[in-house]
Amino acid sequence: MAECSFGLIGKGYVILASDSTAARSIVKMKENEDKIKALGPNLIMATGGEPGDTIQFAEYVERNLRLYHIRHNHTLRPSSAAAWIRRTLADSLRSRNPYSVNLILGGYDHTTSTPNLYWIDYLGTMVDIPFAAHGYGAYFALSTLDRFHDPEATLEEGLETLKKCIREVEKRLIVSLGKFKVKIIDRNGMREIEL
Amino acid sequence: MADGHQHPIEHRFNPYAENGGTVLAIAGADFAVIAGDTRQTEGYSIQTRYAPKVFKLTDRAVLAVNGFQADCSEFVKRVMQRIEWYRHAHSKQMPLKAIARMIQTMLYGKRFFPYYTYNILGGIEEDGTGAVYSFDPVGSYEREACRAAGAASSLIQPFLDNQIYFKNQTPAPGAAPFVPGNLPIDVVLPIVIDSFTSATERHIEVGDGLEMFVVVAKGRDVSQLASLNAEEIPATNPGEERVFIVRRELKKD
Amino acid sequence: MNTFVSRFAPSSSVIPNSRGILADEEEEFSDLTWGSHAGFGNLGTKGIPTFEVPHLADPSAFLRMHTDDYADPNCRIKIQHGTTTLAFRFKGGIIVAVDSRATAGSYIASGTVKKVIEINPYLLGTMAGGAADCQYWETYLGIQCRLHELRNRERISVAAASKYLSNLVYSYKGMGLSMGTMICGWDKTGPALFYVDSDGTRLKGDIFSVGSGSTYAYGVLDQGYHWDLTDGEAQELGRRSIYAAGHRDAYSGNTINLYHVKEEGWDFIGNYDVTKMHYDGPGNVLGATGGGYGYEIRAAGRSASDADAIDTSA
Repeated sequence: MAECSFGLIGKGYVILASDSTAARSIVKMKENEDKIKALGPNLIMATGGEPGDTIQFAEYVERNLRLYHIRHNHTLRPSSAAAWIRRTLADSLRSRNPYSVNLILGGYDHTTSTPNLYWIDYLGTMVDIPFAAHGYGAYFALSTLDRFHDPEATLEEGLETLKKCIREVEKRLIVSLGKFKVKIIDRNGMREIEL
Repeated sequence: MADGHQHPIEHRFNPYAENGGTVLAIAGADFAVIAGDTRQTEGYSIQTRYAPKVFKLTDRAVLAVNGFQADCSEFVKRVMQRIEWYRHAHSKQMPLKAIARMIQTMLYGKRFFPYYTYNILGGIEEDGTGAVYSFDPVGSYEREACRAAGAASSLIQPFLDNQIYFKNQTPAPGAAPFVPGNLPIDVVLPIVIDSFTSATERHIEVGDGLEMFVVVAKGRDVSQLASLNAEEIPATNPGEERVFIVRRELKKD
Repeated sequence: MNTFVSRFAPSSSVIPNSRGILADEEEEFSDLTWGSHAGFGNLGTKGIPTFEVPHLADPSAFLRMHTDDYADPNCRIKIQHGTTTLAFRFKGGIIVAVDSRATAGSYIASGTVKKVIEINPYLLGTMAGGAADCQYWETYLGIQCRLHELRNRERISVAAASKYLSNLVYSYKGMGLSMGTMICGWDKTGPALFYVDSDGTRLKGDIFSVGSGSTYAYGVLDQGYHWDLTDGEAQELGRRSIYAAGHRDAYSGNTINLYHVKEEGWDFIGNYDVTKMHYDGPGNVLGATGGGYGYEIRAAGRSASDADAIDTSA
């Protein structure tokens, strides 16, 4: 459970950040794992939870959204994609072998020119919020975000707020989460940046 | 079991029970009301319809105890004894705040084998103001304006917060702001009665009878109490604080 | 059986030891109790407190069974938990800020608890964990600090006072005491801050936060802290950090109590309602930046949409 991801919106963009360690038992297996999956030209998703489930679920979602794109010649809007993903998780929870995956979904909706951010957990709880955190990081960073987040922040200001959250977790959480991967989505699509 | 012979049988040692009932106290500017119902239960059965839970300690202090009846009566007995010794040693009645601190240390003295009692102390301070002190079973305490404890505390306390502290109330436009702690006695007593009749309606461990002790500061007008059938408890030092008791019936089913 | 148990064995009912006397049930009061030498409740004239323990092989297991609502939520004696407290050292002294909520399970037992214990005019202690444990032992610490003054003709240092408390609670380790406290004061060395808990931990430091809401308080405190804060900025930071915890942690809230320890002793700055802080802020007080602390209040009318910022003619 030493996993942590953040998401926040700003003026015309969404930032997702996730730690990049893959651990098994007490062993760190990898320290540059990308836990943020691109689900389409305007949608990205940070995953965490049961190893195996995370990747399987992310790929399942990605393929289905791709299929929708091919069939209908346009992608799902972030709000619709979020609703479908939530429903998929809720159905999975009631199956014989549920996925234990927690998600933060970020997208840019071209029809309204609005960045969207969704917090979804493995139970199928979904909330549409301006900033989000999963894992132990939430205990430290939510108050930081309450204090410093601004929906009209420029990208530089948004990244500075994200840095505050990461610094806080690095300072106070007893386990080291290693480097954070950061991806941004806006009207120009998705890109990864170095913090 | 090597030491089984030192300690013969020790299945879960449980010297505690929960005897239901509820107590409350409200402080006014120059008086305090301390009240409790008189029902005593264990599980779903009613052991007695008259088991007093509120006791006069001095002319200006009344103690309400709730929780496990055996611990309650033991504790009250010891408090009363210490207060009597204090009177003999100092030739004066123990002040309310001193009783409060003494109750803390007496409760904490059993920190590792606690009395299962929730105490509320009410009365008149040395400066003549009404006061209520509430305690947890191991002695943490705080002076407040009102407090409900016991089985129906979670039913009564929110009502008291609203009526005594004026929580979530706004004065009518142009009206004077609310000042907590200044309600007159003829407003407070009906609030106490309503608290208990309502708790009796919704809590199975509350009912049968209600005893309200009213402690009034020296020289205070007590004419409002006459219409309530208040009975005065003779004072040790006449002419100082006075203690009255008002009794009411509560539903018996 | 081990030595710990034999210490409480019923056969030897009164055993003086480092941690005091475990009283025999009937010996709770001595003749001295009659007079003004009655001492501090169960504290006899020798200054050693006495405690009664159940006549059992394992008294602490007994206590745990009846009081530990983590192990058994149905246990009868509810000891109050849930808190946020913080203290930090800076250029202008020490800021101490706490919430005022006491919970028993999910019931809010009180919203007016004084979690800053005024040990004496120049020492403060904070309260987290068992309310009675903190109140009783910090009052007791106050007595010992006064005795130190009388005996040595000088005030006790914060280091010594906190060490006294630490050693004291350590002698009860395993008996079920629960305290997480910060001892704050100003002595010859300047402002001094120590964290002391019932495990026996004692830490000297610049920033501490204790309680269920501490992570949230740290989240604001750490990011706004630096040594050269002005008095007003520091007080505002303390208020905002407790507000943050009151907002995010369900076990914390109601009101904020704020203290400032200075060279001349501590000052009570004020009591602030968390809900009022959310909507209106602290009003015109030192360090206040105006407006409510709440995110929804601060971000009201601000939109992340960039529809207006984009040139659509291209």
